[in-house]
Amino acid sequence: MNRRIFLMGVPGLAGCSRGSLRLNIFNWSNYVASSTIPDFEMETGIRVRYAVYESNEEMLARVLSGNSGWDVVFPTHYYIEPMRQNNLLARLDHSYLPNLPNLASRFASPAWDPKLEWSVPYMWGASGILYNPAIGAPPAGWSDMWDNRLQGRMTMLDDPAEVLGAALKKLGLSLNETREAPLRRAQAEALRQKPLLRAYLNAEVRDQVVAGDVLACQAWATTSQQAIDAAPHLRFVYPAEGFALYADSAVILRESRRYDLAHRFIDYLLRPEVAAAVVLQSKAATANQQAYNRLPPGVAALPALFPPADTLARGEWFATMPAAAQRLRDRLWTEIKSA
Amino acid sequence: MTRLRRLFLAPSVTLTVLLFLTPLGILLVYTFLTRGAYGGMGAPWTLENWVRVADPLYLGILVRSVLAAAVSTLLCLVLGFPLALFISRAGRRKNLYLFLVVLPFWTSFLIRTYAWMFLLRDTGLINTLLISAGIVREPLPLLYNYGAVVLGLVYGYLPFMVLPLYAALERIDSNLLEASSDLGAHPWQTLKRVVLPLSAPGVRAGLILVFIPCLGAYLTPDLLGGGKTILIGTLIQNQFSTARDWPFGSAVSLALMAAVMVLLMVLARRHGDSLL
Repeated sequence: MNRRIFLMGVPGLAGCSRGSLRLNIFNWSNYVASSTIPDFEMETGIRVRYAVYESNEEMLARVLSGNSGWDVVFPTHYYIEPMRQNNLLARLDHSYLPNLPNLASRFASPAWDPKLEWSVPYMWGASGILYNPAIGAPPAGWSDMWDNRLQGRMTMLDDPAEVLGAALKKLGLSLNETREAPLRRAQAEALRQKPLLRAYLNAEVRDQVVAGDVLACQAWATTSQQAIDAAPHLRFVYPAEGFALYADSAVILRESRRYDLAHRFIDYLLRPEVAAAVVLQSKAATANQQAYNRLPPGVAALPALFPPADTLARGEWFATMPAAAQRLRDRLWTEIKSA
Repeated sequence: MTRLRRLFLAPSVTLTVLLFLTPLGILLVYTFLTRGAYGGMGAPWTLENWVRVADPLYLGILVRSVLAAAVSTLLCLVLGFPLALFISRAGRRKNLYLFLVVLPFWTSFLIRTYAWMFLLRDTGLINTLLISAGIVREPLPLLYNYGAVVLGLVYGYLPFMVLPLYAALERIDSNLLEASSDLGAHPWQTLKRVVLPLSAPGVRAGLILVFIPCLGAYLTPDLLGGGKTILIGTLIQNQFSTARDWPFGSAVSLALMAAVMVLLMVLARRHGDSLL
């Protein structure tokens, strides 16, 4: 009798198995509902050690050693291939994931893992412009973030991929440009923009847009929706020139010795009601179609989180950066910051 | 006797070697490796990271960091000296005032820095008060500039200046001050010719204790500077995060440590045992 079947037989004895079965989950902050983990523990008797990280690099630095102790982590899509190449990932067994068909069709066979052999898409997101309608003519694209009119009242994300990405899109180029000449042109754009900016801020921009300190900012859709919830007059726009898309996926680490429990947790997250509860609390867009179908109409129709297909078509997925391009981009970014 | 001494020293020596020198050694090895594509590092061995440290771009950042740390340290001295002098002459209230100086350490530095953001914002307390009092019409740009970074550093490290200054000032024999005044010295002259020279070891200790953490500060420049400038602490942090270049990050941090060590050694040579 393997551990999984044994477990199936004793959900009612949760108290007894407590302490003997553990699962270590390492996820982005604000990426589960407050009931997600307690409900799973209650139902299965598995004790979950749950911790959060703020960036892929932070997560990768911890798991790179191969004996970090984590079982399930949530890399962004462009980290999956590098993690697989570094032998960090365990191959998924779909027979343990009966809820897998709940995924939206566009996540059933994503370019970064066409057969979902290594990863299960969890949440996805995009970056765009969050603004206060008090500025008058609403921004339509990234070029409006170079508008002198808003000098000192705008911020960009504190992230080289996003700032260079917006500048590249403004120039009509790909986000994932690796050649030096176009990247230099994007850097020149960013340098021209810097004096107009109040700061480079990530999620902390939310409070300042709500308070009115910042009138327009480059922001992630999730942050923006949280801001709009707090201040309904705010608006979010997907820039006309195109924008960045990313998806965070659940993976099981190769080092995990709780392969079956890890699958069980991922399958639990794939349940429509579980995933829908996460959307309602975290305001992130789920990759789960059945969960989306269960959302209250007011949430399912939020344009910042769930844009229509023709808007989505302007999005471009971030790609894994080759080492040389990564180094060049870091240098360009350091130069921007030093200017 | 020596065996007993060795026995007592063994735990701290072991700790220092294990927890301080070993990581430093590992860091040094990192600097000669090549970055891994996605973080980490590996073969081949190279000197490239050290060559890059000397790049004008990074040297410029180092110079800017040294300047910011120097300005903050001097401001700490200017603010801290009168305060320490006041406390050392405060009689029975000394302990209360010292307690107040260290009180901020009871909460996390991160939270205190966020509190400054709330004070300095356009819609923050200071601007709201100034506007409602009719003193200014448009909010003053208090946050996200060089001044905010220096303010945050001074605020954060002022206690490290006040405490050694207080210790030095408190030790000054009040008979010396009386003698100075009896011999006809103006209070300013007493301050300049008696108090200042006698408190010099405290001043040096305070300068060192403030300058070094200011030089490596990364939270304050990032949060109060709004990411519009880059100081050496942020540069190092970036190498270990977004840039995924651990060997170069290691080289920069060791270069910074070496620079600080050289500075300390120069001071130690000039002042010998009175340093710290």
